[in-house]
Amino acid sequence: MTTEKNKKILVIGAGLAGIEASLLLAKAGRQVYLVEKESYFGGAAIKSEEVTPNMECATCMLAPKQSDILENKNIKLLTLSEVIDVNGEAGDFTVRIKKRARYVSIENCIGCGACFEPCPVSTPNEFEEELSKRKAIYVACAGALPNAPVIDMENCLRSKGEDCKLCKEACMFDAISYEDKDEEMTVNVGAVIIATGYKLGDIGQFPQYGYDKKSNIYSAFEFERLRASNGPTSGTIQMRDGQKPKSIGLVHCVGRDEKKYCSQVCCMYLTKFAHYAFEQLENIKVYQFYRELTIPGKGSQKFSHEVKAKGVEMLRIKSLVISPNGSDPPVKIEYQNEKSEKKAIDLDMVILAPFIEPYPDTDRLARLLQIELDDFGFIKTAPYDSVATSRPGIFAIGCIQSPMSMSDTTIQAHIAAGQALASTEG
Amino acid sequence: MSKIGLYLCKCGPNIAEVIDLDSIVQSISQDKTVAGVQIHNLLCSEDGKKFLAESIKKNEFERIVIAACSPKQHEATFMQVLSSAGLNPYMMQLVNIREQCAWVTPDKNAATAKALTCIRAAINRVKYHALLEKKEIECDPGVIIIGGSITGLETALRTAQHDRKVYLVEETTLGGRIKNMRVLLPLMASAREILQAKIDAVRNNKHIEILENCTIDDILGFFGNFVAHVHAQDKKEHELKAGAVVLALDAQQFTPTGLSSFGYGQIENVFTAAEFEALSSDKVVTKSGKPADSVAIIHCVGRKQLGYCSKICCANSMKIARDIVSRSSGTKVIQFYKDLCLPDKSYDRFYEETQSKGIQFIRYNEIEIEQKDGHVAVKVNSPGDEGIKITVDMIILSTGITPPSRAAEFARMFNVPIDEYGFLKQEHTILEPVSTITEGVFICGGMYGPGDITDSLAQAGAVAGKILSSLVPGKLLELEAKTSTVSETMCMGCGACVDICAYGAVKLDQNKNISVVNEVLCRGCGNCASVCPSGAAGHRHFTTRQIAQEMIQILK
Repeated sequence: MTTEKNKKILVIGAGLAGIEASLLLAKAGRQVYLVEKESYFGGAAIKSEEVTPNMECATCMLAPKQSDILENKNIKLLTLSEVIDVNGEAGDFTVRIKKRARYVSIENCIGCGACFEPCPVSTPNEFEEELSKRKAIYVACAGALPNAPVIDMENCLRSKGEDCKLCKEACMFDAISYEDKDEEMTVNVGAVIIATGYKLGDIGQFPQYGYDKKSNIYSAFEFERLRASNGPTSGTIQMRDGQKPKSIGLVHCVGRDEKKYCSQVCCMYLTKFAHYAFEQLENIKVYQFYRELTIPGKGSQKFSHEVKAKGVEMLRIKSLVISPNGSDPPVKIEYQNEKSEKKAIDLDMVILAPFIEPYPDTDRLARLLQIELDDFGFIKTAPYDSVATSRPGIFAIGCIQSPMSMSDTTIQAHIAAGQALASTEG
Repeated sequence: MSKIGLYLCKCGPNIAEVIDLDSIVQSISQDKTVAGVQIHNLLCSEDGKKFLAESIKKNEFERIVIAACSPKQHEATFMQVLSSAGLNPYMMQLVNIREQCAWVTPDKNAATAKALTCIRAAINRVKYHALLEKKEIECDPGVIIIGGSITGLETALRTAQHDRKVYLVEETTLGGRIKNMRVLLPLMASAREILQAKIDAVRNNKHIEILENCTIDDILGFFGNFVAHVHAQDKKEHELKAGAVVLALDAQQFTPTGLSSFGYGQIENVFTAAEFEALSSDKVVTKSGKPADSVAIIHCVGRKQLGYCSKICCANSMKIARDIVSRSSGTKVIQFYKDLCLPDKSYDRFYEETQSKGIQFIRYNEIEIEQKDGHVAVKVNSPGDEGIKITVDMIILSTGITPPSRAAEFARMFNVPIDEYGFLKQEHTILEPVSTITEGVFICGGMYGPGDITDSLAQAGAVAGKILSSLVPGKLLELEAKTSTVSETMCMGCGACVDICAYGAVKLDQNKNISVVNEVLCRGCGNCASVCPSGAAGHRHFTTRQIAQEMIQILK
């Protein structure tokens, strides 16, 4: 007896990888549940202003794909949602999904933003790496999709016993409902694609980098948001006191020694950061503190040479210690160069490229799905079958299985779409 | 004259607070060409869409102008409403009075005047809209794969599903470059075993037809319907039909002839990595048959000339070093490198393990190889040490990866541009990495760029994903309705449109000496229409007349 395989597919994570895989599956006529934990989708890719090597605008690149997702009748995007239980086997999985309340009806809301202003709450905006504040009813950033805000009930005054209705009163479309409840739903699918992505590693665990979120020592995404035209400074690169930096240090390989893997994309994005600096800041001095320059593939070296030609000082180092200086320029880098000589330099701004690690909570997801992780905590995939996990019918793509470039992420999304289709035929 | 209906959307307060919609209604009601004007609070809402469909039907409007938000937001929404009301969806013009008027022009009078001008222009335009239909064509789900490399084999296995016929065309015999390798990264697995398993699987798959010792003469057609002519060494000819073509030829390795400092071709016992891997001897011996006691591997050979890092050579050099040590434990191996490029999460450990096997690593700035008493001397200028000189028995040059020799030829055949390095250009480096601008023609392996076996297999899988999702057996291909046209009477056959078309959709009909648009490939960008000097090329939804009538109204 042969049982009919379920032809629907579950995709977990709606970043570049999840979006690409979903669109291909939908094109083939398949129904897709695209589950996204955040209130918006687009993943880490939409945090960048431009992406290497052709310096294309990342949000502009993703936006048409995102509208395709929103308009596609075969794709059901579930934001604020998480997978909480998985049963069954390849061809026939039963998945329970928890959908947190948005308190804003996506159907009624037109995204005008009239509800933000009256909200009396002010809290750090996580999307902006806490470089700016947001309200309790908010969108992660301008242009976030779906174009509807969410109420963060943890910070909303209503959760503190107050009967604040300011946002509801400001809404002209009757889109806000404080009575919304979290929901659970069960879906049946034939295959699962995991595309939950990455986060940048915690630099705080390495004291030598002096990272304290107060001084002018930044992590990569903080700098990316400073340059983002929809970011906290509308794209102006500036220090915490609002001044423009005169010198910038770019530090490679943060955490590589400890984690024992190369995060693959940092050399290129730091080169991009140098490009940002030259584009915007006159007479800026840029220093790169690196060990091995990893810029593989067509186009990367050309871009690197072009940026270097604008005057980057490339310092190959053995080790370094960074500390806030308390004077001007405010950050000190003491380093040991290739010849083991001790040197020091004072800089206005330092940007660190931390190791890439799997998205938080991956071990929980792996337990739910009964799949193995590798030694580094990424989802383990087969050596010559790069998206196959340890369990049939479950595929892992993008940075949840290894640090990788955006083009490699797309490639994996294409592969998983093909394999999910093939595995649920017949 | 057809009945034109105008709908104004308040978008809640977003439009209504800035633009005086009542005065627009008043102004337009003087226009006799407009049969009716309606205002709604929010046309995109469920209520609004229902209202729109019912109103169109009740009033028997034939052409519609909607003044609301950006077409990016709701053009598709309103087109669907038109369809549901029984109208051709292209009988509509959407005017963006929100983003382009209300939100950017704070002065109410100025914003209202601007909105009115744009609405009038749209009314004038929509009169000239043509009935467009989305056509569908049948397609062949089959695949022609060119190149029996590991990438070609993998693509064949991944696409040979159910009702899909796959042709694998190889000029010689199956296997490609991997045939010459002993072990494969990252697991040091036996290359022969992995390759043989793939070849066996291909040979046993009833959906795959293998054409070895066959050369492609030409491939005509387009996405969904390609026809290839192939001849075998025995002169036998084949005609293959398929919906997609995959270029899966193996890359080559840079030949360092002419780079005198490396001594290649001049000094005995200087090999390229590929040549060394192809040596059949199980022992590591010099050309004279003596065991090689010491080997130097030099990285980044040709990188300067090629203009890119080939990605795989650093790890590949370590692989070779470890293979040497495992076969001949006494042999000393030294690696001369520049920047260690190890972009795989397993490679830092692989590097540590390699060092722990006694393999030495020295960074070089400059290097020179010379003959010395039957040995080879390596003169190295290294950071911190400017005069190292080491004598070894054998040199292996880790050379970069270059495009397949026939890359340019296939690029011409399919109208695909090549990049500055000679690889085939991807449709988009990030979003469409294995597609080309010619729809239905895909690239992987050596055609794509430098990469290792993992990359090649991944690209093959990606090509399969693209094909399986876009060519579904039994499913029709839906074509773009807003395509270009060329007037047979006006075309002079200058070919300007052929040159500018990025999708290879316009071809010159040699007999009639006029351009012809292939509607399957045309994506409606309109480049041909704007470049045509005789006005023969046009766009179905941006006709000269539509644009002129819109402009005339604006400039009045």
